Amino acid sequence: MNVKREKLTTLSFFLSPMAVMVVLFYLVPLIMTVYISFTRMRNWNVSKYLTEFVGFYNYHRLLYMFQHDPTFKAVLLTTVVFVGITLIINVFGGLALALATFFIEDKPASAFRLLWLLPRMSPIAVYSLVWYYFFHGSEIGTLNSILMKLGVISQPIPWGQIVPWGAWSIIIFVNGLVGVSFGMIVFTSALNQIPKELVIAARVDGASSWQISRRILIPMIRWHLLYVLTWQFLSLLTTYPHLFLLVQWDLVNGDYGTTLALYVFNTAFGMGEQDQGLAAAAAVLLSVIGIIGGFVTLKVLKFERMMKRPRGDF
Amino acid sequence: MKDVETRPRRYSRVIILTILLASLPLIVGFSLLVISSFSTEMVTNLNPSSFHLTLENWISVFHGKLATTGGIRAPILRITLNTLIVALGVAGVVTAVSALAGYSLSRVNFRGRKHMMILLLVLHAFPGVALIVGVYLLYRLTFPQSMDIVRLYSFMYVIFARAALEIPMSVWLMKGFFDTIPWEFEWSGIIDGASRITVWRKIMLPLIKPGILAVALFAFLAGWQDIIYVRTFLIDQTLATFIEANIEAEFSHMPMIAAAGTLYLLPTIIFFITAQQLLLQGYSGGIKG
Repeated sequence: MNVKREKLTTLSFFLSPMAVMVVLFYLVPLIMTVYISFTRMRNWNVSKYLTEFVGFYNYHRLLYMFQHDPTFKAVLLTTVVFVGITLIINVFGGLALALATFFIEDKPASAFRLLWLLPRMSPIAVYSLVWYYFFHGSEIGTLNSILMKLGVISQPIPWGQIVPWGAWSIIIFVNGLVGVSFGMIVFTSALNQIPKELVIAARVDGASSWQISRRILIPMIRWHLLYVLTWQFLSLLTTYPHLFLLVQWDLVNGDYGTTLALYVFNTAFGMGEQDQGLAAAAAVLLSVIGIIGGFVTLKVLKFERMMKRPRGDF
Repeated sequence: MKDVETRPRRYSRVIILTILLASLPLIVGFSLLVISSFSTEMVTNLNPSSFHLTLENWISVFHGKLATTGGIRAPILRITLNTLIVALGVAGVVTAVSALAGYSLSRVNFRGRKHMMILLLVLHAFPGVALIVGVYLLYRLTFPQSMDIVRLYSFMYVIFARAALEIPMSVWLMKGFFDTIPWEFEWSGIIDGASRITVWRKIMLPLIKPGILAVALFAFLAGWQDIIYVRTFLIDQTLATFIEANIEAEFSHMPMIAAAGTLYLLPTIIFFITAQQLLLQGYSGGIKG
């Protein structure tokens, strides 16, 4: 009995800070978001609307908008296109980078890996600023001036305002560069765990780098491919900070630069009329997709098998 | 990879050149930003004639001036300090919480351990935007009445709320670092009669110093780069909201914003130079779980 109590004290010492954080900033907010989705909350007028129940009104509005509102349709279409294409770029870009750096000397390899971490590590505002100048619609825009020097265009073009593909290309490009590093790092650490003898043996037999990648390396990191694919899918579905700035600065078109996650944020916190009830309802839908996706990921990847019991504890 | 010696040398040159080409937009984009901050005009148009070396932008930024003419001033040092407070706060909270939780998940066998770890993974993948609506309502409901502590409260709140986002991954990362320490160190302490808490503090923490450093570094960068939480909850301005607010303002001088951006990028660059191995290892460790 005494031993058990001691263990309980020890455990609560170690785990209670985390538990408090999870309850305060995940559990309670989640319940509150679901709650708000059933109220008429707008403009954060808490005292007026917090107790004004409207049942499934916000969800009905979402359904109605899905059928009739061109802006909301654009947002959903953008979400699908953005997640789909960026995911492919992320997974294959990451794989290409990991394989390419695998075959060169250590020094340039880590330099390149570090360089590709830059988009993820630099402040979101600075990273967006870089691309703001790059794709700017006037002559100070780097892309415009390159194309004008080459004589492809005579007038600067506001790329982000060309709907839908101009805006889509920019948001896919900007987020694509951020996401590539995740795949690169996972694949690199997976490749480094493959016994070197396999590669050396293939080399001795005269296999090219391409053949080694295709027949040995890629089949051996299949689990990691699946892992990056599913995980990156979830994070692309829910990412919005970079997109937020691009839309806020008017670099890309508001409708075709907004994904569902950004739509939720802007509806709840954006300029002008805010509608937290509607935003919360959309957020709940997004969460349902996220949670289902998360559990499917865990099942597919058989994460549970990786969690071994601590062997030395008594 | 060092140990494959049979491979022809010239191929690796081709590969390096290919990656370099693919990385070109990144290199060009960031370089133009930094170079523009030292020029009187933006050099993003790739015209060499727009480059005139000057330190004017940096001097103006440190004086808090935003425009070449006009009297609008922003307390840039104060703004930088705000950013630093948030980043250090997030780093402190995340490191402390994950060093505690990571140890017990790695070393103590208890009921619900597995579920807790799965829960953390699911929380990590959970849509942050669904949370922020609720987190804001909690903020409003707990907002202090007294005006004196309002700013302090907004700092505290943004630190804890932002730290919470980093906690699931950091706990996994920290658990991974604890996993690498042989049990013998721990047994020797326990046999001498020390409690698990003492063992954790006296034996384990010194052993995983690199891990603690890595987690702290990532958490610091997460707090430093954040814009969404800062602009939603913090009353004071940080570098992120400063840049966001000024980019479209008519009175602002573009190269000065570039200088402010470069200032904001400085810690990232410093970490890149000083802590390369930690960054690369930390990431792979964290992602492997």
